[in-house]
Amino acid sequence: MPQTPMPPMSMFRTAVHPGLWEHKGKVAAVGVGHEGTARRWDGTAENCIGAWSIAACRKAIADAGVNPADVDGIVLDTSTTTGAHWPAGREIPMDVVQKFNQTDDPLDGIAQLSGEWMVKNMPELTNVKYIMTGPGCMSACIVVAAQAIGDGLAHTCLVLKSWHNLDGRYYQGGANAEPTISGNAKWTNPWAGPASLGTATQFQRYMYKYGKSHDMMAPFMQNSRHNGLMFPEGYWAQHRPEELPAEDYINARWVAKPANLFDNDIPIMASAAYLFTTAERARDMKQKPVYILNHARDNLVARGFGGFPTLEECEEACANVGVRLHEGAGIKPDDLSFENMYDGFSLFHVFHLEGLRTHGIGLGDALDAFQGDISISSPFPISPSGGNIGSGRTRFWKHTDCIQQIQGRAGARQISVPANIGVSGGPMPTGGNFTVWGSSPD
Amino acid sequence: MPKQSPVPDALDKPYFDALNEDRLVIQNWTCCQRLQHPPAATCGGCGSNQLQHMSWKQVSGNGTIYSYGVVYDSPIAVLQADQPYNVALIELEEDPGVKMLSHLPGRAVDDVPIGAKVKVIFETTPATGQKVPEWQVVS
Amino acid sequence: MYTERTRGLIWPRTPLHADAGSHSEGFTLELPGGKFLISFDIDGTLELGDPPGRITTEMVQRARDLGFLIGSCSDRSATSQRAIWERMNIEADFIALKHMLDDVKTRFDVHRYLHIGDRDLDQMFAEQAGFDFLWEHEAYTEPWLDWLEGNGAVPASEQ
Repeated sequence: MPQTPMPPMSMFRTAVHPGLWEHKGKVAAVGVGHEGTARRWDGTAENCIGAWSIAACRKAIADAGVNPADVDGIVLDTSTTTGAHWPAGREIPMDVVQKFNQTDDPLDGIAQLSGEWMVKNMPELTNVKYIMTGPGCMSACIVVAAQAIGDGLAHTCLVLKSWHNLDGRYYQGGANAEPTISGNAKWTNPWAGPASLGTATQFQRYMYKYGKSHDMMAPFMQNSRHNGLMFPEGYWAQHRPEELPAEDYINARWVAKPANLFDNDIPIMASAAYLFTTAERARDMKQKPVYILNHARDNLVARGFGGFPTLEECEEACANVGVRLHEGAGIKPDDLSFENMYDGFSLFHVFHLEGLRTHGIGLGDALDAFQGDISISSPFPISPSGGNIGSGRTRFWKHTDCIQQIQGRAGARQISVPANIGVSGGPMPTGGNFTVWGSSPD
Repeated sequence: MPKQSPVPDALDKPYFDALNEDRLVIQNWTCCQRLQHPPAATCGGCGSNQLQHMSWKQVSGNGTIYSYGVVYDSPIAVLQADQPYNVALIELEEDPGVKMLSHLPGRAVDDVPIGAKVKVIFETTPATGQKVPEWQVVS
Repeated sequence: MYTERTRGLIWPRTPLHADAGSHSEGFTLELPGGKFLISFDIDGTLELGDPPGRITTEMVQRARDLGFLIGSCSDRSATSQRAIWERMNIEADFIALKHMLDDVKTRFDVHRYLHIGDRDLDQMFAEQAGFDFLWEHEAYTEPWLDWLEGNGAVPASEQ
């Protein structure tokens, strides 16, 4: 794949007490575009992830009301899956490839996405000078784009994340089907299992430590699906408009107990793009600006295996993020109007939420909080986006929701309390990226 | 329980060689007096890559169950026949920050006492005969 | 709160036997060669699944009309499976979660059990429960109709 540059680590705010973000309120989100969804790719050119990415970007540009020629930056995640990698030896559909302007990698636009491919296939983008990777997640793309605009590296930037999905199941075959194992996997593969096992061990320890049960997740899961069904672009809303009653959640088969089928977010295809610009330019655009007040990250390196940070390491990382988010935005924890922290796997949400130390929810409190009113009508709505649980594995619903809530454009999901300050981010407690969004730049 | 056989490399060969002699050794970075597992080319404490700071320390083989999960749907082919199975995180007596994985042989599925003492045993993996550490609850 | 995991068949909740008449009242299964049960996975198997499979509603209806006990066994929730049967306008004899095929077998005393699915997980649960298994691409020719002729057709997965 053509190289899309990686951002320097200096773009991420990881200091223990980083101080007020130097660009607080100077960068704004003004446009949103979504395309998709589907459970899997149907093999057609019009539904390949490249085509959807183009469509999402064009929608974001139109939503913001900017001239495409004014766009001077693109930040995107070049990886478009966490597990649906193109199988070795599978024929690449050249009829699809040839429908687009190719790069030197025929899988570009099908099972991955480079900045070069996007520029080649959006001829209206005549002035793009800044192209950068947001590694792994829309959460990282947002941080890189916000910092780039604040630093003056771009002034009008597309922020893009897309997901393809193929037939078959994640992680089957390959090294997992061999009798021997090399590399880092030698430390886990002889014993371990699905990706959610690490989170399962953290949550098991959590239940042991705080005296809670997995069933206490049910109201959160119900609420998330319910909110997701009010996200018109979401997978469940589009394809299977079904609520998730507590009994259905609790009866689901275990994948890695205590993580069941619904705790594992469903892989889908989808694409989302945002249009970011300077606060100054945002004033003249079509939509109400949503100001970025801060971003933060925690680089805690777990002593254990990659997929198995301990509960205490997760709690420490999440608490660090909470402190950094609040301090850097110049807000108090209870200034948050709502939260959209990561939820795929769903059990992560407990750790992220508690890390914010907001609205009386401290360590060991999240599951108790779930037993109360956490709906969009509550004083502090929990995951009004519905997240990955409510709309499928994209890791971007929560960001879209923050923008739309603050703009007052969340439709049926619009929260009852004034949406002044929201927070979103993820994915993992260790190494994730998080953003504070505000209705005011101050 | 049959497992994939881990293939040693130059860095971790002393660890795997010791297992084949029924000994459990852990990488020890003397620069930070830090046990480290899995082994790595640098000290996780200070980043040193000076080999004179690295040694292998034999440990007692005593540990405690920190947490666990029960796997019902594994992508690892050789483990699928034994589903569901326990996967416990064991913390070493010498340094609870060092964790190892275990199927807890002899323990019923989902009957895992967090906080219980465990003792290492050495299990032969079928593909190459390489031994790996396993842990049993001490009654 | 829910403190106990309610394992088991979603519906029906009481044991049923083929000759007890789970079909329309008074119906007794007396097929040539025995009494048969077919369990359908949904996504990737039935035409109403996501993705759609090749087993049409017409095929399912035909099996039911011919006296097979029919139902679904899927990773979809009970709520979702009920919705599929309502969309097909067919009365199912059972609805079960994917890992509950063994429960289906316990509750229905018939001569032959078949599960149809599109994933290795379907095959695994079917084999664990003692069901015959057909891949969706093997099943769309309705090989179970041969059973009515008593010709002993064996699913490809057994060959």
